Amino acid sequence: MRTIVLRRLGSISLMLVLACLFRPSFLWAQQAVTVSGTVSSSDGQGLPGVSILLKGTQAGTMTEIDGSYSLNLPAEAPGDTLIFSLIGYRTLEIAVSGRSRIDVTLQEDLEQLEEVVVVGYGTQQKRDLTSAISVVKAEDLQQRQATTVAEALQGLASGVTVRAGGRPGGEGRIEIRGLKNLQSANPLYVIDGLVTTANRDFNPNDIESIQILKDASAAAIYGSRAANGVIIITTKKGREGPMRVEFSAKSSLQTIPRYDLADTEEFARLNNMAYDNAGKPRQNLDLSVNTDWQDVTFQTGNMQDYNLSFSGGNESGSYYVSGNYFGNKGTVIDTRMDRLTFRVNTEARRGIFSIGENLEISNTQVDEMFDAFPGSPLFGVFRMLPTIPVYDDSNPGGYGYGDEDKARTFGTNPVARANLEHEDNENFRVRGNLWSELQLLPSLRYRLNLGYETSSDHRTYLREEGSWTLNQPLDPALANENRARSENKLIENTLTFSRTFDRHELSVVAGQTYQREDYQQIWGSKRNLLRNPNGGYYSVLDQGNEPQTGGFENTRILLSYLARLEYNFDNRYLLNAIIRRDGSSRLGSDYKWGNFPSVSAAWRISQEDFFDVPWISDLKLRASYGRLGSGNIGPYDYIPVINTFSTIAIGSDQHTEQGAIQVNLANQDLRWETLTQQNIGVDATFLNGELTLAAEYFNAETKDVLFRYPILLTSGTSESPIVNGVTLRNTGFEFSLTYQEAQKPVNYYVTANVSTLSNKVVRLGYDLNRHIDGNTITELGQPVGMWYVLETDGLFQSEAEIAGYTNADGKIIQPDAQPGDIRFKDHNGDGQITNDDKVVVGSPWADVEIGLNMGVSYKQFELSMNWFSALGATVYNGPRSIMDRFDDNSNYRSGITPWTPENPNVDFPRVVYASTLNARGDTDRWLENGSFLRLKYISLSYELPQDLVSRIGFSQARISLSAQNLLTFTSYLGLDPEFNNSYIFHRGVDFGSFPNLKTYSLGLQFGF
Amino acid sequence: MKKLFYILTVLFVVGSVSSCREDLLQQENPNNLTEEQFWKTEEDAYKAVNSIYNMFYKTGLWARWIYFRLDLTSDEGFSNSPWIELGDWTRFQYINYNFWEGNVNTWSDTYKAVFRCNQVLAYVPNIEFADQEAKERILAQAKFLRGLHYYYAGILWENVPLVLEPSKPTDQPQQNTLEEVWAQVEKDLTEAAQVLPAEWDGANVGRPTKGAAMAMLGKLYMQQHEWQQALEAFDYHIHGAGLYDLASNYEDNFRAENENNIESVFEVQFSDANIGGGEGDGPNQNMGTHRPQFFAPRDIGWSDGQARFWVVEEFKKEHTTGGEIDPRLRHTLFYPSLEEDFGVLTYGRTWQWGENEAWFSKYARDHARTGEDYFSPVNFRMIRFADVLLMYAEALNALGRTSEAYQYVDRVRARAGMAPLAEAYPAIGNNADLFLERLKMERVLELCGESVRWADLKRWGDLDTQEGVDAVAARDPDFQHFEVGVNIRLPIPQSDVDNNPNLEQNPGY
Repeated sequence: MRTIVLRRLGSISLMLVLACLFRPSFLWAQQAVTVSGTVSSSDGQGLPGVSILLKGTQAGTMTEIDGSYSLNLPAEAPGDTLIFSLIGYRTLEIAVSGRSRIDVTLQEDLEQLEEVVVVGYGTQQKRDLTSAISVVKAEDLQQRQATTVAEALQGLASGVTVRAGGRPGGEGRIEIRGLKNLQSANPLYVIDGLVTTANRDFNPNDIESIQILKDASAAAIYGSRAANGVIIITTKKGREGPMRVEFSAKSSLQTIPRYDLADTEEFARLNNMAYDNAGKPRQNLDLSVNTDWQDVTFQTGNMQDYNLSFSGGNESGSYYVSGNYFGNKGTVIDTRMDRLTFRVNTEARRGIFSIGENLEISNTQVDEMFDAFPGSPLFGVFRMLPTIPVYDDSNPGGYGYGDEDKARTFGTNPVARANLEHEDNENFRVRGNLWSELQLLPSLRYRLNLGYETSSDHRTYLREEGSWTLNQPLDPALANENRARSENKLIENTLTFSRTFDRHELSVVAGQTYQREDYQQIWGSKRNLLRNPNGGYYSVLDQGNEPQTGGFENTRILLSYLARLEYNFDNRYLLNAIIRRDGSSRLGSDYKWGNFPSVSAAWRISQEDFFDVPWISDLKLRASYGRLGSGNIGPYDYIPVINTFSTIAIGSDQHTEQGAIQVNLANQDLRWETLTQQNIGVDATFLNGELTLAAEYFNAETKDVLFRYPILLTSGTSESPIVNGVTLRNTGFEFSLTYQEAQKPVNYYVTANVSTLSNKVVRLGYDLNRHIDGNTITELGQPVGMWYVLETDGLFQSEAEIAGYTNADGKIIQPDAQPGDIRFKDHNGDGQITNDDKVVVGSPWADVEIGLNMGVSYKQFELSMNWFSALGATVYNGPRSIMDRFDDNSNYRSGITPWTPENPNVDFPRVVYASTLNARGDTDRWLENGSFLRLKYISLSYELPQDLVSRIGFSQARISLSAQNLLTFTSYLGLDPEFNNSYIFHRGVDFGSFPNLKTYSLGLQFGF
Repeated sequence: MKKLFYILTVLFVVGSVSSCREDLLQQENPNNLTEEQFWKTEEDAYKAVNSIYNMFYKTGLWARWIYFRLDLTSDEGFSNSPWIELGDWTRFQYINYNFWEGNVNTWSDTYKAVFRCNQVLAYVPNIEFADQEAKERILAQAKFLRGLHYYYAGILWENVPLVLEPSKPTDQPQQNTLEEVWAQVEKDLTEAAQVLPAEWDGANVGRPTKGAAMAMLGKLYMQQHEWQQALEAFDYHIHGAGLYDLASNYEDNFRAENENNIESVFEVQFSDANIGGGEGDGPNQNMGTHRPQFFAPRDIGWSDGQARFWVVEEFKKEHTTGGEIDPRLRHTLFYPSLEEDFGVLTYGRTWQWGENEAWFSKYARDHARTGEDYFSPVNFRMIRFADVLLMYAEALNALGRTSEAYQYVDRVRARAGMAPLAEAYPAIGNNADLFLERLKMERVLELCGESVRWADLKRWGDLDTQEGVDAVAARDPDFQHFEVGVNIRLPIPQSDVDNNPNLEQNPGY
């Protein structure tokens, strides 16, 4: 309390000075009515220095140190409304109505300090939002070491789920408010007004602000592309003042989580047991070899991120120039990424005209990881046996791999693959926009925005001679190269009208946009490359023979008209209405156009006269309804085409002849997928801003989802066609609570985000009732992709148990079983275990996701943490279903205890080589609880003391230490419970996904 | 300032104009012919029918996996692949009916081929042709190929849905019985046989001839025990215009040289013209066969399939009239004493595999190279005259005309230098059962590894009783897992059973 009083005293003295300076001008009318009273804050203390003005005149005064005032009103005054204003408090207008005493309480205006929110084709005050928009602070994002924006967003906003990539150049996947679209759940990225993707070419250090438009009413301004949410990124601009130089350096070490795998001794014991149980002669294992395949495949990775920026400006213009180098050596051998970016953002104003541009040039090189199954290094490390040496001169190429006598496995030697295959991608990208504005009238502004993005992509692949797996064919050295160019052009015209009439605030935006995206690719390959006597090969396409080439191109066009109306009455009633009309070249001829309206409204209860709850400083209710579209499909999916690529050999000379036929079915009536969403929310601020709460409930129905719905194999189509088939309903709650206290010297805050989501299938493709896909079933009225497998029921302990396990008719259900084998439930009671015994046993969807952000600062130190937890999902452990199967050779998890007659009280069945009885993949044996709690991020930073900093010529300097994914609490046995599977029906299948890495970073940041 | 204003106004107008052109939304596909543009000209029809042949090159069919079903599942072959699930599908250990390599790939490629046939049959009739016969021949080829694919579908799964029209995504075709499938195959082949030419000109060699259609018909009748009709079909080859004879060199039937020779009735034309090309529907498609890469011995190929050793022993039971080892053995199998017996190495190597191991050598390129790959150009002889002769003999025998049957077996034996059957096995006489028993072995010795054995076992009913299965299991222990009445056909891919209410899983699965 003392500190508050002191702070107030400081400002009081300032106000007194100001009051003395201005006082004479107020005293021009002496005769007439006098009004007096006290102005106090919500905690009852008198407020000094409050300006009191008679509306429409120059007459006014200021409050004294105790908050009291006295004002003489001239008799001929045009009105009798007083305006009470003080910086940091909400301005109040009160009619005198003949009163001589008016006591006033001013509310602190927290919003004044808040950022403006970019909502697409304009901005809004955050306090005036009527829809669900999350704002992420750029500093929070930039503290993290991440390749892409998506990865850095994890846990920073409610309702936003991120699954990270982890490998160099890997791009994370973002889902906003769950599953709305079965094809691709990526949201729309808008960078400085350009609709694009914030892929790995984009430098996150340049971000000024990020807003996530989550509900339909917010996103409707982006109409047909907004169904999965919109992420609006605004890059940095120069601020008024002298040139400011900022430098930041981050350096990180990364480690990949590892399996605990058997060494040669343990492996040999288990492998021999599996062969003995099968009655097969044991392998002639080479016990002198003990290879740790994880040691030779994984390495400590590192990341370097250096960013230098210059910015500044004056009233007529500003600039921001930055350069960035980002390097990432992967945690898997022979993988890395390097990125260079430059950015120049400038703007200039003169009179009613302003113009500006944002431009980024980037070059990204990625040495890609081989990952085609079964070569994925994450499978390789356990499919290779510890008894296989890394190198073996007797094999072509010199690498060790499976051997019929000693090590029967088709596992892939990851070292061989890394060294014999070289895949590199390089993207040179220029992305930016040029805009200009004309303030035609004080209330009318015209804006032209021209966006342009182009990328030159170059991929090379070289395969050297040599083998990496048992018995593989001897391929010659070959090279493959492709070059592509993409272009993205945008023209936008918008007119903005905004005006305040009395207590009415009105803003209208109308515009039209045109966006065209083109892509062309050409590729070629040659085999039998010429060896370079100095080592390696001549891998240019001039060399070699047996050439192949190809190429293709495509174009997508979107035409749109848009309008938005914002209306604010007295800060109490807020209304926002949007309509967008989109036409897409990607949809069927009669279905190209779609209209996407939305409306949202809010009521700021706290602004009402009757509202008198002193501990609630702001309370706003809001509701919205909106329709969005999605046409996120290929450019020509609605056109059935003839495949002209088939060739045949025919004739006595076996010459080649061309074939042509339709190989893929198409649905020509493809139309917009629409998302209709209702949202109800409340925003509240309590205790003078110490506690803020945002809560939402939403109900979204996605209709006519465009999706490659799997159709019957008997159709003979090579690929299932896109169809408007599925209708899904998503409902959920989002809850965000922040408590902050600024009590010097200790400041702290805690934010908790909680989201729940449930999805339900309302209609399935082609009006079917269910779809079974792998181990999942999707049925009407149920969530997508529920687990549908055989249920296990422990192990048989004796022959008697097997003989006694019968159905009602006395039929022995598993006559081939032996003690130690798995007992399966015969759900249909037919006395045998078949596909008909499968049942729904769980859901791959988390019940609740929780994010917890905490920070505390003391003097120059600041500690912050971000926890993330997803609870209730059941997931399929794919790697374990291979390591534990034993019918096929792989390495095993260390420490397992299979059933033996001597050790029967275990849950791990008898191990048998070459018998699928216990190993079958379609059982609940491989399902696990996927719940986890993870410390995603923790950082400790130290702001160097100002006097020390200024002595070395800096204005600010900061050192930080941070770690990502440091701690994980889970019972899941795989590498990472936070894995990524983009195939919608297999969302819960961990099929050797690349895990999140542990990253330890040291960051340095200074400016002058 | 004013200037800028004008510039902006101009930009505004330009922007408006470009964005108002709504016809821009009609984008042509620059990469492909559209279906609307196709099915207009004779050239379109020729290309369309060609694309059906292209299906032979797919992994589920004659480039790869179908040999696992026809050769390895039979008692001639087996799999000792380190890939256990792949091997399980050759020994009746079916767990996951959606196993791609063992089941789904072959099923889906079969229906892809059928889809192509159905398009030709539905759309080509509407195309104007200058030469009506040319049009009829195109339709006849499509019918032949549809009949062929449904024949093998009948052999493998039996109760398959007959899709006879171009598919729509909403189709849920009805299941058919094996009888219905056979009736459709008979119809297609009969109609094809009426139109297909006896011989094609040089540029079209490799397309089915009338003889090919008659032979497929004959095979179909054989499976149905329609012996008389089979005889009538095969009469075309044996007593017809003399277009067919045995090649003088047995090995000419299994090598890239001397393809489409006088013994050939129908061949799949493989080529390495697109060496390095991929599978799938993209450009530069592989036109080669992967069979040798998958069947070559360990360290040379994937070694996923090999021959049962009893076949070697069977060969060695009878010598040629000159006292030599049956020369067909040399071109049928790699086995331990190959070098000793014939002075031949295996892919240039002395024997380094098991003492009782044998590998298929038909269609292998061991005489020319030391390794295999995915691009072998060696044609697969789906039907050759020797097979026709032996089937003819079998049909005669089944009709009680055993004595007439001898000559056709002898003709096949004679090329190998074997004595006439009656001399070598005088005990048979006119006993049809004994004759059939011997004929079963004669078929192995002549046709081992040529993908006829699975259909043979089904036709003979050897797998219809436990007793019969036990006898087969004595040669091939994989048959110990064989469940009578169930494993005679494959399980239908579960995904289609699950998602098509009109399709039942095969009984017992």
